[in-house]
Amino acid sequence: MADGERSLILVADDDKDLVMAMSIRLKAAGYDIITAHDGEGAYEQASQNKPDLIILDVRMPSGGGFSSIDRMKHSLNTRNIPVIFLTAFDDEEMREEGRKLGAVGFFRKPFNDDEFMAAIAGVLEHKGGGHGGF
Amino acid sequence: MKVYRIAYLGSDNEAVLGLETALKGDGLQFMSAGADYQGMQQAVDFNADVLLWDKENLPPDAAIPVEELRKAGLSRQPIVVVLAADDIEGAVKSLAGGAVDFMFKPMREDPLPRIIAALNTGAKQRRIDWCNRVIEDTNDQVRGILATLADPAYIVSPEYQILWMNRAAEEIFGEGQRGGACHHIFYDRTEPCEVCAKTRGSARWRATLKNGKSYRFISAVMRNSRGEVEKLAVGTDITPDQEVSKIHKTFIANVSHDLRTPLAAIDQYVSILLDGLAGELTEDQANYIDVIRRSSFRLHNLIENLIDANKILSGDYKLTMEVVEVSDIVAVVHDRLQSQAADKGITMQVQVADGLPPVYADKSRIAQVIANLAGNSIKFTEQGMLQIRAGFMPRDEGRVIVSVEDTGIGVPKEDLGKIFDLFYRVEKDKVYVEEGAGLGLAISREIIRAHGGTLWAESMEGMGSAFHFSIPSYQGQAAVR
Repeated sequence: MADGERSLILVADDDKDLVMAMSIRLKAAGYDIITAHDGEGAYEQASQNKPDLIILDVRMPSGGGFSSIDRMKHSLNTRNIPVIFLTAFDDEEMREEGRKLGAVGFFRKPFNDDEFMAAIAGVLEHKGGGHGGF
Repeated sequence: MKVYRIAYLGSDNEAVLGLETALKGDGLQFMSAGADYQGMQQAVDFNADVLLWDKENLPPDAAIPVEELRKAGLSRQPIVVVLAADDIEGAVKSLAGGAVDFMFKPMREDPLPRIIAALNTGAKQRRIDWCNRVIEDTNDQVRGILATLADPAYIVSPEYQILWMNRAAEEIFGEGQRGGACHHIFYDRTEPCEVCAKTRGSARWRATLKNGKSYRFISAVMRNSRGEVEKLAVGTDITPDQEVSKIHKTFIANVSHDLRTPLAAIDQYVSILLDGLAGELTEDQANYIDVIRRSSFRLHNLIENLIDANKILSGDYKLTMEVVEVSDIVAVVHDRLQSQAADKGITMQVQVADGLPPVYADKSRIAQVIANLAGNSIKFTEQGMLQIRAGFMPRDEGRVIVSVEDTGIGVPKEDLGKIFDLFYRVEKDKVYVEEGAGLGLAISREIIRAHGGTLWAESMEGMGSAFHFSIPSYQGQAAVR
């Protein structure tokens, strides 16, 4: 990403209302947004558009967030894109699984807006090396 | 007067004559018969108390015919062997073979003292035999009970050797495992399991056995009749409980997921509107949306409390224990509730005794308890103060007591015993409190229990309430879950 260019964020969640809300918020914060509503779509969008950050729901149709990130981390094209998980599950094992699969953050719905936006900014700033709320 | 009957079994006339002469006194009766089955029968009919068995001309290693005597009905009588003067080996072997004493022929000494000694030994032996029989019978009964259990039971030696297994255990591990190492046969291990290696006394553990089922084992240490320490272990099949608990867990996880999901969207749209991202709002519109925001926040809290209560009350949670200062925990709660108390005009005071030792506890869980208690105080106090105190438990220096006291409406006497019950709410006409599902105190009591402590309440209606809990201090720390 060249200086001055807007970061591209992929928001993948099967809750379309939430995706739309997050898109409004993130666009207002100066990011470009692409969206997906299932695991397959998330992987395709990631491969085609190579976003700077992916916000990934855990439970989605046609391959949830875990299988999407697994595929992305095994593809040269997408392996370096940081991923933040977003889920309504509250499960320590799930969090650990997300970390093992290479996610840089894990947020639980409903999430604190300020913390979430700060995490996104942090990850984009040190792309790949930041932390987003583990 | 008790008459003692002495029977001589043999055919040495000289010995018979000598004995007859010596055993003529009052309280004694003597008889002689052949050392054959017929003679033994006569001794039975005579009701003999002691048997003098003449070894006659049998070789030195000839044994006392114990089996024949027993068959004839002479198993309880002490036997004194009568033998030739040079038959030293015969005397030694007879004593080893069950005789209580011996006499050499020809009898030069008075045989009476030795016969009395034999009677005494016989009586003692009968008492020992009786005790042993009782022990054996009891053992048989216990093993009978264990044998019929539907759950596996086994006994192992201190060297982890299987001494006995019941049928249920044999059905899992196969028959003929006696003598094998328990850790090897049960769990395919080369070394003893940790629970046995680390515990000397009774223990509890859970294990999945070769049949794929999960068991909760309880072991007890027993001493056998030889004084050796054996371990009895009995397992209970907890597979059905675990399956139910798994279903319950999945159900709760899914329900809580589906309850939280729409809240995320509500929160997002509310903040979009409040931040003006969908255009300017009128003051009224902003106020109404703020109501939605607060309601959503309350709903979120309620959902999280319900999920948390479910976890705690079903024991499906872990404490993260650390050595922590009580003053640090109290300070966290004070910061969290300060503004809430101030909003209602309640003064909040904190007091921690000097030199109070730290506690070994889950900091956030103990903070949750204090916050629950202090939150209740704020809720039920219209004016006055709320005090959080931490100090030494009176008469028990090993424990720390934390008290949350208020000048609120208090708890009616009839409700005081029930307020820790799940979903219990004190119904009052005068005060309508919309928040609260009756979870906080039930959760708090469970958390304190899990720390090895106690939570209790004192109150006078209209005068305020005092909630106290005590937990072990770090030095006095005992085992916790």
